[in-house]
Amino acid sequence: MAEEQRSQGGPPSGAPRREGGHGGPGGPGGPRKGKRQFFRKKKVCRFCVDRVDFIDFKKVEMLQPFVQDRGKILPRRMTGTCSRHQRWLGEAIKRARNIALLPFATGM
Amino acid sequence: MEERLYDLIFICRPTTPEEEITKIIATLEHACAEKGGKVEKLEKWGTRKMAYRVAKHREGYYVYLQIKSTQGELIRELERRLAVSDVVIKYLTVRLDEELKRQQKFQRKRERKAARRPRKAAGGATPPAEQAAAQG
Repeated sequence: MAEEQRSQGGPPSGAPRREGGHGGPGGPGGPRKGKRQFFRKKKVCRFCVDRVDFIDFKKVEMLQPFVQDRGKILPRRMTGTCSRHQRWLGEAIKRARNIALLPFATGM
Repeated sequence: MEERLYDLIFICRPTTPEEEITKIIATLEHACAEKGGKVEKLEKWGTRKMAYRVAKHREGYYVYLQIKSTQGELIRELERRLAVSDVVIKYLTVRLDEELKRQQKFQRKRERKAARRPRKAAGGATPPAEQAAAQG
C-alpha cells in the first residue's frame, strides 16, 4: 500500500525540481521551446471525481492512500486533492489517529 | 436543544471476555435510555491491530456506537463510564450532525447545479423540436 503510494507520488514531486533547474518558465527560450519531456500530468482531486461530500474517519482504507507509511499526511501537491477535500481529509486523519486507526508517527 | 448525532468508539483490551464487552455495551445503552438518548447503530468491529501501542497492547477490541441525543450531558456520562472501566483502554466521541448538515448542503448545491444544466440544454434543444412540431 505504502510502496504503491510512493511510486505514485514520486514523479510529480520530482518534476517541479527539474523545472527549476532549467531556469523556470521565464528562462531563455520560454517554456514552449523544446524541453517538452517534463510534461506533467494534470492531477485531479479524487474526492471531487467521486463526488464525496463527507470523509469518514472510520473508513481507514479510504484514508490510507493519503498517508505515508510512517503516518504523515501527504501534501496536496503529491495527491492532487483540492483544498476543500484536503481540509476534510486532514480532519478525518487526525480523528482516526486519536482512536489508533492510523499512526501518529511510527518510530518502527 | 436540538438533536445531535455522535459517533462513539471505544477499544477494549484484547483479552477481555465477550460477556464483559456485552455488559459494558448494555450499561452504555442503559445510560443512554435514562437520559433520553438513542443508540442508532451498534457495531462490533472485533479484535484488530492498532496503529500504535495503547496500554502496552498492540491489538484491541473495537466497538462502535452511533448515538442520537438532545442532551450533551449524556456524552459526559458515557465518557465517565468508559474512563472508569478497566477493560476499556481508549475511547473517542465525535459530534457528527454539523458535518452531516454540511454534507447535505453540498448535496443540495450539486443537485441544483445538475438541475440547472439539463434545463439549459433542454432550453437549447426545445426550439428545433418545436419547429419540427410546427412544421409537422
